[in-house]
Parts: sequence; C-alpha cells; structure tokens
Amino acid sequence: MALKVEKTFEVPEPIDKVWEVLSDPRKVATCVPGAQITEQVDEKTYKGAIKVKVGPSITDYTGEVHIVRLDAENHEIEILGKGQDVRGRGSASMKMTGKLRALPNGGTEVTSVSEINVVGILAQMGSRVITEVSNIMFGEFTKNFQARLREPSGDPVEHAAGAQVTPIKASSVAWQATKGLLRRKS
Amino acid sequence: MIHKTSPEIGGMGHSIKRKEDLRFIQGKGNYVDDVNLPGMVYGQLVRSPYAHARLKSVNTEKAKKLPGVLAVIAGEDLAKANLAWMPTLSYDKQMVLATGKVLFQSQEVAFVVAEDRYTAADAAELVEVEYEELPVLVDPHKALDPGAPLLREDREQKNNHIFHWEVGDRQATEQVFQKAPVKASVHAFFPRCHPAPLETCGCVADFNRATGRLTVYMTSQAPHAHRTVFALVGGIPENNIRVISPDIGGGFGNKVPVYPGYVCAIVASLTLGVPVKWIETRSENLQSTGFARDYHMTAEIAADRDGKMQALRVKTLADHGAFNAAAQPTKFPAGLFSICTGSYDYPTAFCEVDGVYTNKAPGGIAYRCSFRVTEAAYLIERAVDVLALDLKMDPAELRRKNFIPASKFPYKSSLGWTYDSGNYEAAMKVALDKIGYEQLRKEQEEKRKKGELMGIGISSFTEIVGAGPAHTFDILGIKMFDSCEIRIHPTGKAIARMGTKSQGQGHETTYAQIVAQELGIPAADVTIEEGDTDTAPYGLGTYASRSTPTSGAATAIAARKIRDKAKKIAAYLLECNEADLEWEPGKFYVKGTPSKSKTIQEIAFAAYTNIPPGLEAGLEAVDYYDPPNLTFPFGTYVCVVDIDKGTGEVKVRRFVAVDDCGNIINPMIVEGQIHGGLTEGLAIAFMQQIDYDESGNIQGGSFQDYLLPTAVETPHWETDKTCTPSPHHPFGAKGVGESPNVGSPAAFVNAVVDALSHLGVKHIDMPITPWKVWKVLQEKGVTA
Repeated sequence: MALKVEKTFEVPEPIDKVWEVLSDPRKVATCVPGAQITEQVDEKTYKGAIKVKVGPSITDYTGEVHIVRLDAENHEIEILGKGQDVRGRGSASMKMTGKLRALPNGGTEVTSVSEINVVGILAQMGSRVITEVSNIMFGEFTKNFQARLREPSGDPVEHAAGAQVTPIKASSVAWQATKGLLRRKS
Repeated sequence: MIHKTSPEIGGMGHSIKRKEDLRFIQGKGNYVDDVNLPGMVYGQLVRSPYAHARLKSVNTEKAKKLPGVLAVIAGEDLAKANLAWMPTLSYDKQMVLATGKVLFQSQEVAFVVAEDRYTAADAAELVEVEYEELPVLVDPHKALDPGAPLLREDREQKNNHIFHWEVGDRQATEQVFQKAPVKASVHAFFPRCHPAPLETCGCVADFNRATGRLTVYMTSQAPHAHRTVFALVGGIPENNIRVISPDIGGGFGNKVPVYPGYVCAIVASLTLGVPVKWIETRSENLQSTGFARDYHMTAEIAADRDGKMQALRVKTLADHGAFNAAAQPTKFPAGLFSICTGSYDYPTAFCEVDGVYTNKAPGGIAYRCSFRVTEAAYLIERAVDVLALDLKMDPAELRRKNFIPASKFPYKSSLGWTYDSGNYEAAMKVALDKIGYEQLRKEQEEKRKKGELMGIGISSFTEIVGAGPAHTFDILGIKMFDSCEIRIHPTGKAIARMGTKSQGQGHETTYAQIVAQELGIPAADVTIEEGDTDTAPYGLGTYASRSTPTSGAATAIAARKIRDKAKKIAAYLLECNEADLEWEPGKFYVKGTPSKSKTIQEIAFAAYTNIPPGLEAGLEAVDYYDPPNLTFPFGTYVCVVDIDKGTGEVKVRRFVAVDDCGNIINPMIVEGQIHGGLTEGLAIAFMQQIDYDESGNIQGGSFQDYLLPTAVETPHWETDKTCTPSPHHPFGAKGVGESPNVGSPAAFVNAVVDALSHLGVKHIDMPITPWKVWKVLQEKGVTA
C-alpha cells in the first residue's frame, strides 16, 4: 500500500539550528515515535529499528536508513528507509524529502514529503487506518522535533541510547485513528 | 402433479419443520471444533506477508525450542515426502507449504504443532522467514504483458496464461454483428467475493498407529471425494481412511477444495501419532481459502431495431489467483459459463474465456453457484438492460420479446445446452403483477419530475444445476452421480444415507420427506445420515444445487426399489398376485377391496419374520443416480430501490422473487433458501469485495472490511413461485439453493442503474457502495 504524506510546520529556531538536527538521521530518529538508530554503517547509512503497534498488531521493523541526497546549501535532505518486520509480518519503506525555509520572523518552515509503502499484515488495515496512523506519527514527530530543538545539543547517539524506546501506544493510536475517521465523516 | 400425502406422513409439499433445528437451536450441534479427542494437539499455520517473494530461508529453531511445541513443518520438509504440492480440481497443482517462493499474501509457509492453541500461535511468531520481495502482479489485464513478472516458474509454459476456452460459432456470430442495426455492449466486472461461511474451515486428523487407520473430521462438502484425494495424494490405502463431516456451519462452495491446513494436520498426525486439530481464524478463511467470481466480462448483443436479439458475443478475463484451484468438476475450464445466453432465444452466440494467474489467493470456487453460472446470469441480465436503454424500450417488454417460448422446450441453446423445461414469461408475469410494475413505472416518472431517484430492476435468470451427467462432469475421473441407501427396520422405521452432505440445507428433513412420499413411512420415522465415508454410499457431495437433482433422485429410486420388493411381500401376505395390488402412500391393497391391505410397516416386519419363499430377507435398497441431463431452474426477480441524493445510499424498498424450481419437497425450506441466497446477493451487490492494493495486500481480509449483512441491512423479501417440473427428474424437482444468489445481483444492479439511467448512467460495477453512487451523482451534477 503506497501513500504520500505531506506536512509543513514552523519552528521558532533559526534555519541553521534546525538543519543541524534534520541533517543527522541519528537526531531525527530520536523524534520518530518508536524508532531508534542502532548502528552507523558508513557516512550515509545507518541501521535502525521502529516499532509500530496498531491495535493487537505489533510490527517491529529493522532495516537501514540511507541518506540519498544532502544539500546543505539549499537545506534539503532526501532519506530512504527500508525495513522488514522481525517476525515476518511484512515490510515498509519510506522516501522522505525534507526541506527548510528561513522565515522573515527568524524562525524556520519545515516541509516534508514522504512516500510510504507498507506491505504485509499492517497494510491489510487499509489506507483509512494507515493514513491516520501516519498522521498521528507525524504529529508526534513534530512535537518531538520541536522539543528536540529546544534542548541543548549533545551526543545524539547517547541521547538515543539513553531514551527508552517506546512504541506508539496501541490504544492511543487505535483511538486516535477512530477519532480521525469519525471526524472526517461528520 | 405430485400426490400429496397426509400431514402425518409428511411427504413432498409439506412445510414440516426442520428436524435438524432441534439440536441447532439448542446449541447441541457437533461441529469440527467440538471434536475433542484424548491427547489431541493443535496446529497453526505461518503465513506469508508478501504477495510475491523469494523464500530465502525458513528458520524453525526458535519456534521448536518453545516449551510445548512438538513439531514445526516447513515446505522443504514436505518436499522430502513429495507432499509440498498437491493437485487442484482444475488440473493445476498448488503448494501445500511454500517452497522456493510465495505467490500470494497469507500463503501457507510453515505449520507449527503444539500442545495447546496458544503455544502454537506464539510459536508461529517465532518462525523466522527471510523473504526477498519480487515484483507483484495484481491486475489480470497486465498478466499477459511481455514485461509482466512470471509467477509460476514451476510450469513449462513460461507466461501467466492458464487457459483459453471458446464455445459457439465465432464466424456466424461475427457475420451477424457486421450487419446488425443495433449493438449494445457492457463491460461488467464481477468482483472477487468470498462465501464467508459462519464456521471457518478446519479439521481433526487422527492417525492411529496401532490400527494404521486415519480418521479425518473435517469441514467437507464432499467427504468421499476428499477421502479419495487423500488416498491418491498421500498413498494411504483408501480403506484405511475415514472422513467424517460432522455438522457444518455453512459451506457455499468454500468447503469443497482441499486446503493446505488439512494436509498439514494429516501429515502432523501421521508424524506424531496423535490427533491434530487445525481450525482457521476468520481472517485466514477470508484471505486464503476459495474466493469466488473475479470475472472481467464483456457482453455484446446484436439486435434488430425492434429489439429482437440476433446474436450474443462474450469475452471474459478470469482472474484465478496464484493457482488454478477452481473447484469445478466440469470438462470446461470456465465451468458452465456458456449458460450466458440465459433465458433468451439467440440464433447464434460465441463466448470465449481466458484464465490468468495473479498474486492473489487461489480459488474460483462456485459460491452458491454451479460453476460460473452466477457470472453468466449477471452478465446477460445486465446486457439485456443496456440493450433496453439503447433502444429506449421497457426492459420487461424486451425480455418478453426474446424469451425462449414455453413451446420450444426441451430447448437446445446456441452454446450447446439442452434446457429441460421452462416457462419464463409466466414467471415474469407473476413477479410483475405482484410488485405492481405498471404502477411503479408511473411513480418513477412522477418522481423523476421532482428530481427524486427511484429505480426498478428486473432479472429473469435461467440456472443450470444438478452436477451432473457423466458426459459433462467428473472429479479426478470420478463421475458425478450421487447415491442413496435406504434400510427399513423390522418395525417399519428407516434410516437412509447419502453421498451428499448438508451444510444447512435441511437434508435430514427433505430426504426424509422423499422417502415418506415414496413409501408412506412418516418423515418423522426416517433418519437421515450423511458425512461418514465408512457408512454412507459413495457420492460427490453437496454444492451447485446438486443434492435434490442427484441424491434426491437416488432416494426416490431406491425407495421405489424397496416398494417393488414390498409389493412381492404384500402379495404373499395377502395371497394374491402382484398385479392385483394397488399402492397408496403407506400401503398395498387388493384392487376393488381396500380393506384387504398391508401397510408398509406390516410388510417391513414380514421382511424379517415371514419372508416369502425365494426372496431374500430384509428390506433395503441402494441407488447410484447419474442424471441424464442437468436441470434448469429459473425465475424473475424484481427490485425497487430509492437512492438518497445526499449520501448515495441505496435503499431496497421492495424485492419480489418468483422462483420456478419444479416440484417442491418442502416449501418452507425452499423459502428459507431463497431468503438466505437473496441476502447473500444483496451483500455481493452492495457491500462485499476481496480487493487488493498494488502491492498485493488484501483489502477485505477481515469482517472489518468484508461486510456481512445483518437484519438491519436486509430488506423484507417477498417470494412466490411457478411450477414447471423437470421432465427427466424422478419427481420433477430441479434444485433451488443457488437460484437466489445467481439471480439477484443483476436485479439489484439493474434497479440502481435504472434509477440513474436518465442521467446517462449505463452501468456501475459491484459492490455498489454509497461512496460509489455518491461519486456518480457528483459527476452528473446531482445534489441533494
């Protein structure tokens, strides 16, 4: 199942500070709910994991994140992530393009376009649920990203290791997704 | 005409209550999952998340180490025993457990056996399977493209084409089309749907190492055929296999094929020497077992300007999924699809079908249907409505004009079938009168002026059932007769056994009524037993409305054999010649002297106590009935719908079903069958589809997305009948179970299209969801 998610949000921090986080997958990973970077393979490739729990279905993807393009001048990054569930529930891939734009007020506009492809048990839930799940995940990500920017910069790996990786909660996602569906209907 | 027996005897035509319901409504039925044997263990399948992937490794070590796990079987293990593949009923083969690669999502990859169900389910998650994803083929229209991924590497033929089949006169049909003044055409997709029986599939395989006997309790619509398949595939002597089908909670064709789960449970029991139970979950049932339909069809009708049909041309692409596991026993790859000329008198016709593989679950089973007759009936009834639209003719009038006239039966269709009997105009008249057709058309005209959407849909279907004559059918070479054995006990009570197997059809009642009709023994005194291959005579099972045409016929004939012997005994007891005896239900009497008589009960007693010299003791008979022809039930269904312009919701206001299934055994059961089939038809037309996304992910793999109609969605069904007996059936019956599922989808769709036809809508594919209708309304600029 393929879906495209486009998100734009603003942060009060200056563009260079934002770029410092966005251009480092290790730092970005700490903002993605349920995700962690476990190993750096080379300059542009990392190994990582993400746990997604929807209702009774837990999917534990492990795989690689690869920086396809890093354009510091234009503040653009393109990341390709691919993972398989450890218990054979399927796979997921995501191509994300992130772009920053400096705002006149000194803040920064963050734009991301993600093409997500989910195969397996999770994809059977249908686009209605998966789109809602990604919406919730991106919402969480935005919050975490903003929080991360407010923190003093430290060693990102240590930060990731220190933080307990918690999957997004089943009940909360299911409930949020239901609410999302209801909201759209009314 | 059938002579009606007294209510005490309860022969044909009596609406006696279903005997089996006493246990069903008290929760005393005995289904496969109720079978619990000492030492029994449980199996769980590991399934593929991918629709198409190379299988790189299957690591079972972790699963095997979980306490309580007894065995983990993978495809390679089965391959060593030459059991990784099994034959299908359509001369293809399918994987039992995957080796090399997987070809559809939810395909069976490994089988875990554990001491309890929970451990088995946990262990299944510990089986580590490494996949390498391959390009997925979902769209059957792309299956034959040069660049399409090759699905079946095991075949010699290196493409995704399964078969091309054609019937009729291509050239003559082309010629008519070249000259015809009017040509109407419709592209109609009959979506992939699933019977979704309330009880999923399952079995308990019990191999006894001491006796060498294998007993399989299973959800089987065809226990004898399955026993033979197990003997042929597994190499177990057939006398050492006993298949028992206990009570079955609905089959609808879904329980005809042999599924990998059965084979795995048997292999596990043979290996471990203990009984192994395997029961599907709901999602497993929807995602991996036999789906139905998935036919992409085009029909073209050539006609003159007055609406007289001249020729029919049909082209179809059949999506069979990963393996051609269509459970169809005809000699034709598209089954009885060539019944697509329907109720109409076509001088010439041509039909061709191509079957292709895709990365979807295998199947193509006959869901309450005689092997593609539902697709055929839907297509022709849709096409006729499109022709009516093109000609601006009333669809009832157009049908009347083209019906095969009652005087032409038996009728040889241009695609080769000999219809046994029919009176289509009579059935349509009853339906139109009952619903008040003329008045409804006036109402529709008024409503249209006010901008309201209301439609009337007609479907005048012709069925082809009762598989079937040896010249047209076989399963792995076995002819499709069916059987009955009747034993009359000394006290005049009886037991009868058949080769068919009820899954809710009410056989325990209807077969008893046939015996009652023929012998005058009250139906209440006749026990019916099916489903145990050790006791029942060989038969091919229940599906395709075949039980009444085959085993029902065998029951009547076996009873008549008994009556012949009873006559000899009666003559001996009454000290007269056989020729002097007259029969009335329940007794023989001397012509002209009704007081000199012997009841069937007295005769039965004498058969064991006072046997005439030269005659064998006992009163039993068996009959194997090979029907000389199929039967052709028919009817007209009329549906009235109102459409909500704001939401696109279709409300079925009225539905009149007039069926003609020949002579009826139990009117109440027939009505129940029609109610059930119409409700399924409603679901197919408006609610259900097993769809796939572009990666081959199943959309519709649970009841969250695959919707079942409840009392809330189901309208009030109005039924009626005409009666045109089958001339070749022993008591003139035709079979009815599938008629409402075959005939109704077109009535629903025709009604919806009729409501929108003035907007230029000619066709909408099923399922007609509110969203789909709403989109059409938006396109046409209709707002609430």
